[in-house]
Amino acid sequence: MKPRSSVHPWLMLGPSLAAWTLFVFVPLGLAAYESLFAWDMLTEPVYVGGANYAAIAENGELARILGRTLGYSVLVVSGSMTLGLGLAVLLDRPGGFFAFVRGAIFSAYVVSWVAVALLWVLLLDPDRGVAAVVLRALHLPRIGFLTDPHAALVTLAGVTIWKITGYAMVVFLAGLRAVPRSLHEAASLDGAGALARFRWITWPLLKPTAAFVGTTSLIVSFQAFDVVRIMTGGGPARATTLFVYAIYEQVFMNLSVGRASALAVVYFLVLCVLAAAQLRAWRSQTVGRRA
Amino acid sequence: VSARLSRRAFVAGASLASLGATGGCKRALRDDHGRVRLRLWFSLGGRNREVLLEIVRRFHATQDDIHVEPVYQGDYFESLAKLRTAIAARAAPALSHVIAEVVPYLARASTLEPLDGYPGMRGLPFVPALGQAGAFRGGAERPLYGVPLNRSTPLMYCNGEIFDRAGVRPPTTWSELVDTAKHLTRPGERWGHEVPISWWFWVAMVGQAGGAVFDEQGRATLGDEAGVKALRLWQDLVHRDKVMRPPPGRDYDAWNVVNQDFLGGRAAFIWTSTAYIRYLEDNARFPVVAAPLPRDVRHSVPTGGTFFVVVKQAPDAEKAAAARFLRFFCEAEQAAFLSTRTGYLPITTPAVDTMRAAGFFAKHPNDEVAQRQLASVEPWPWEPNLFRVERDIVDPRLEEAVLLDRDARAVLSEARALAARPG
Repeated sequence: MKPRSSVHPWLMLGPSLAAWTLFVFVPLGLAAYESLFAWDMLTEPVYVGGANYAAIAENGELARILGRTLGYSVLVVSGSMTLGLGLAVLLDRPGGFFAFVRGAIFSAYVVSWVAVALLWVLLLDPDRGVAAVVLRALHLPRIGFLTDPHAALVTLAGVTIWKITGYAMVVFLAGLRAVPRSLHEAASLDGAGALARFRWITWPLLKPTAAFVGTTSLIVSFQAFDVVRIMTGGGPARATTLFVYAIYEQVFMNLSVGRASALAVVYFLVLCVLAAAQLRAWRSQTVGRRA
Repeated sequence: VSARLSRRAFVAGASLASLGATGGCKRALRDDHGRVRLRLWFSLGGRNREVLLEIVRRFHATQDDIHVEPVYQGDYFESLAKLRTAIAARAAPALSHVIAEVVPYLARASTLEPLDGYPGMRGLPFVPALGQAGAFRGGAERPLYGVPLNRSTPLMYCNGEIFDRAGVRPPTTWSELVDTAKHLTRPGERWGHEVPISWWFWVAMVGQAGGAVFDEQGRATLGDEAGVKALRLWQDLVHRDKVMRPPPGRDYDAWNVVNQDFLGGRAAFIWTSTAYIRYLEDNARFPVVAAPLPRDVRHSVPTGGTFFVVVKQAPDAEKAAAARFLRFFCEAEQAAFLSTRTGYLPITTPAVDTMRAAGFFAKHPNDEVAQRQLASVEPWPWEPNLFRVERDIVDPRLEEAVLLDRDARAVLSEARALAARPG
């Protein structure tokens, strides 16, 4: 389609481009600039070049934050997708009971992060929480879900999965209902069992839905802040200091705008790489299908 | 300078835009009754908050020129983050309060109003260890920036019932602390000792082991050998002796856990702040016995709590109103009221005298212990870097070192190297 005037595409793009410039490109440019200074908002900024980047990379701190965030993302994305898909397949049935269960599972998604985090803090209290009572009743050892550096990140991932699985389930349900029933009937006539039908009919047709769920879960997991702030404050022993929390901590707790900006720039680059990888995977899949 | 201006302009612009979006416009200096509106940002919760608000109410009852508008801003660190941002955006309240360690930093940034020039502010009779003059090395030679609000020191609290039953006395030395904790620990049921893994208590131990976190030249030495010794004591109590629980949570979450474990009989003796004397006494179902922190080579405690500060950029009328409120706050009656109701230390000598004359210390021996321990106060260095070293460098490493049993010497040398660099 050829525009009647060369200005028209720019006019169409204008509003969103302006919003992007104001809320994304300018702040990002400012962050990149700030990252070259040691600055606390109150005293004179001092130009330090790449020292802020060196400081966050030193002693493997950046690598640890990145590793933790990626680990958390892997757990959240794989957990929410697997559970969401499983629940969608199990609950894709008519009737009031199934509708109630679907609604109950989805309800966690609409509750605020703060409420969810506070609820789980109470449930997981190592002395008085429900989890502790259950462990004691089963004569199992005490687990510091939020206090053991080896368990805290997994616990946070579990809470996040609990919260967003309802969303994944609903999207998968929509995907399942778009799969033509005739394909299943034809496969059944050919003698295909439930597992074979899922493997060869449902799953290939659900792949775009899965890609969508995967992308949105990845975004949620990379943006994790509320759950960290309320449940662990980044601890114990920094075991749950994820990227966004680390940025917050640097600027608001440690008064270091430069270092927070350097982290924000690295965070942006990491997201660019992940987005590119996802786009590449998506394109190769599309090309494969066309062939 | 231009870079700084552009950044400040950006922050100010963003703040103005958000104020505009919420229907804000230039704030009126006076209210409908012609009184100066004095904004006060505070971070006290529970009973401390009630006491502060009662003092504000009393102030209103004494005069008609000033109306104090107190606004709660979260815990000390959240409140500081907001104050700093508000100062950068030129939207800060005239009066706020901040933890002691941050006063030198804010003063160096020229954000605080020197208060000596305001009527009656020079020569306020502060308890030496708790006012700026005694709470900081060289604090007397500097303009008066901070007026003590709620001041405290660490204190040891023992469960009187457990101690009586076991026939032991509160430990007075580190080795007694270890022995007592071992003696009183019941695995799976009760910890001997508990203390928040936090800078404040570690600084106390560094002092007790004969060190200081900054030397006279202003270098962050982190106590050198004394720092290592203090950290190792914690590591041994947690990992080798298994008689101390490192409480979960950061900052005041961990403090709360320590208090709850003590009140629930899950910890035989704890270290926490004098600020909790009333709270622990009122809520314990056993006698609470306070004792000075034990010594290694000497007794030593840092001071804690907060100082009122007046923001330099506030309108003159508000700053004058703030000074007037502070004078009222420092009167013996108010200072004694805050101390008797909370457990924070009385900040002026007339307040101490008033309390003593009323027989308060005779009736409350735990408060008397806190008073006596003031003789062991180690002043903070007047170092703008102090707060950064505490929050950014040492505090997170202490928790890591204790929980993961890291090499104490290596952890502190790394921290020292980081402290030597610009922030």
